[in-house]
This record gives sequence, structure tokens and C-alpha cells, in this order.
Amino acid sequence: MLSRIALRSAISKQSASTALVARTSSTDIAGVRDEKNFPRPVRALEPGKVRLGFLPEEWFQFFHSKTGVTGPYTFGVGLATYLCSKEIYVMEHEYYTGLSLLIMVYIAAKKFGPSLAAWLDKEVDAVENSWNEGRNQTIKDLEEAIEDEKTAQWRAQGQELLVEAKKENVLLQLEAAYRERLMNAYNEVKRRLDYQLEKTNLERRMAQKHMVEWIVLNVTKAITPDQEKQNLDRCISDLAALAVRK
Amino acid sequence: MAIGDYPKEYNAAVHGPYDPARYYGKPDTPFGQLKLNEIGSWFGRRNKTPAAMVGACSRAWWRWQHKYMQPKKVGIAPFLQLLVGSMTFFYVINYGKLKHHRNYKYH
Repeated sequence: MLSRIALRSAISKQSASTALVARTSSTDIAGVRDEKNFPRPVRALEPGKVRLGFLPEEWFQFFHSKTGVTGPYTFGVGLATYLCSKEIYVMEHEYYTGLSLLIMVYIAAKKFGPSLAAWLDKEVDAVENSWNEGRNQTIKDLEEAIEDEKTAQWRAQGQELLVEAKKENVLLQLEAAYRERLMNAYNEVKRRLDYQLEKTNLERRMAQKHMVEWIVLNVTKAITPDQEKQNLDRCISDLAALAVRK
Repeated sequence: MAIGDYPKEYNAAVHGPYDPARYYGKPDTPFGQLKLNEIGSWFGRRNKTPAAMVGACSRAWWRWQHKYMQPKKVGIAPFLQLLVGSMTFFYVINYGKLKHHRNYKYH
């Protein structure tokens, strides 16, 4: 018995809580959005058509298929005639007040209606524009941001090209430096070889010169006075021989 | 369904934003398309609880609002409709007094 009461209270508690959930959170309810049968309501731009200032166009369309164009008017006039003739509609003093008011309203509507409507439409547009302004501005800003981002990406691609060109430039510079050093090394080696050649030539020349000088010196030193005298004599005899032959 | 709640049939996940002019239950044949002999059973199928009647009036009110009062380029028509409606209403409720102002004895 007690357990049954406990069960019942638990069930009632649960249903209360689920009802609360259903009421507060609409997102938890499962289902696929039916856009075709339940499109999002849109505010109409133009109001429904009316005739004679207030009678809906549908009323006249309803009559049109059965009675033609004049049917609804005939019905209206007939109904009014019936109501007045049977004095269901009693023409007491308020009727004439209403009639005069109706005339005034009609004249006012015809006289001031169009300009008032134009002014109100202008105001409505102004209000709507002011409400949309922030939104449109935000959209415009975001579109501009997207454009700027695209330009920035385009520039970044340009930077890549530039970096490529710079790398090529650096490679060219490295090549130039390499060639310059190669030339430098060649020149240095050539200079040293030239130096060695010059030095060897010089040494040889000097040695030759010294040798010649030394030989001449020693030869001249080796010539004794006898030899010189003998030589002189020989010369004189040669000269004499030459003189005789002449 | 307490006061201020959405109708039981309304499911935000399926129906989207709530339209107060719309009936979210299973639609019956429109009254305008009935045959005369079906009218009785049609009224028999209607939900006649006070809440449902108030709901029907509310939907009618919002349908009128959406059609005549709420559009952007609204004219004088909804105000004239309100005027004519209130004139008729007050004429009917005051009819008991007004009928003493009759001018003719025989009709």
C-alpha cells in the first residue's frame, strides 16, 4: 500500500518536471524543421485590399462568382433598406451626428490622406533605415574586412615572390663572391709563381754574373807578367807579320 | 497547458518561430468548403472548451492584425474597420435603449 503511494508520487513528480522542461526549453524537443508547410512568417508590405474604405476585397470576391459585380452592393443597399425600413436601425439623433462625422472624416481622408500617408511612409522608411543601419554597416564592414584579408593574402603571395627573388639575388651574390675569390686565388697563385720565376731568373743572372766576374778576375789574376810579355811580343810579331803581308 | 503557454500542438523544432495567427493542430475542412449537410458534424468536431474559443478569437485577432494593421504601408482601412465594428457592437449592446427612439409605430 505504502509502496503504491510512493510510486504514484514519484510518477506525479516526474510528470510535473517533464512538463516544466517542455515549457521552458524548446530546443530539447525533437523534430525536423518543416520549412515547406511552416515557413518563417514575414511581415507583409501592403495591407489587404478593401473597398469603400473598410470592406475586405474577399467579401466582394465571395459574391462575385454568384451574383456578379453589383451583387455585394445590391446586398448592402438591400440590407440597409431593410434595417431602416423595419427600424431595426433606428435613425435617432446620434444617426445624424454620425452622418456629419462621416462626411467630415471622408473629406479629411480625401484632403489630408495622401500627404499624411506619404509622410508616414517616409517616417516608417526612416525608422526602418535607422534600425537597419547598424546591421548594414556591420555587414559592409565585414565585407570590407574580407576584401582587405584577400588583398593581404594577395600581398603575402607577392611577398613570397619577393622572397624568392631575394633568395635568387643572394644566390647570385654568392656566385659572384665565389667567382671573385676564385679569381683572387688564381691571381695570388700567379703572383707567387711569377715571383718565384722572377726570383729564379734573378738568382741565375746574378750567379752567372758573379761566375763571369769571378772567372774574369781569376783569369786576369792568373796572367803572369811573363805571359803578358809573351803575349805582347806575340802581338807585336803578329802586327809585324800583318805589316809585311801588306 | 496553463495560461500564457504555447498550444500543445506547437513544436518549435518543427514549426519554427511561433505565429500567433496560425492554428498548429490538425486542419479540418475549411468552413467555406463545407456542404450544407456536413455543417452539423463539422460543429460536432469543434473543440468547444473556453480555452479553445479564446484561442480561436486570438488567432482571428492576429490574422486581422497581420493582414490589415501590421503591414508596412498600412492605410486607414483597419481604423475604419475598428470604427465600424465598435459602432456595430455598441449599437447592439445599446439596442434595448435605442429602440425607444423609433419614429414609426407601424412597419
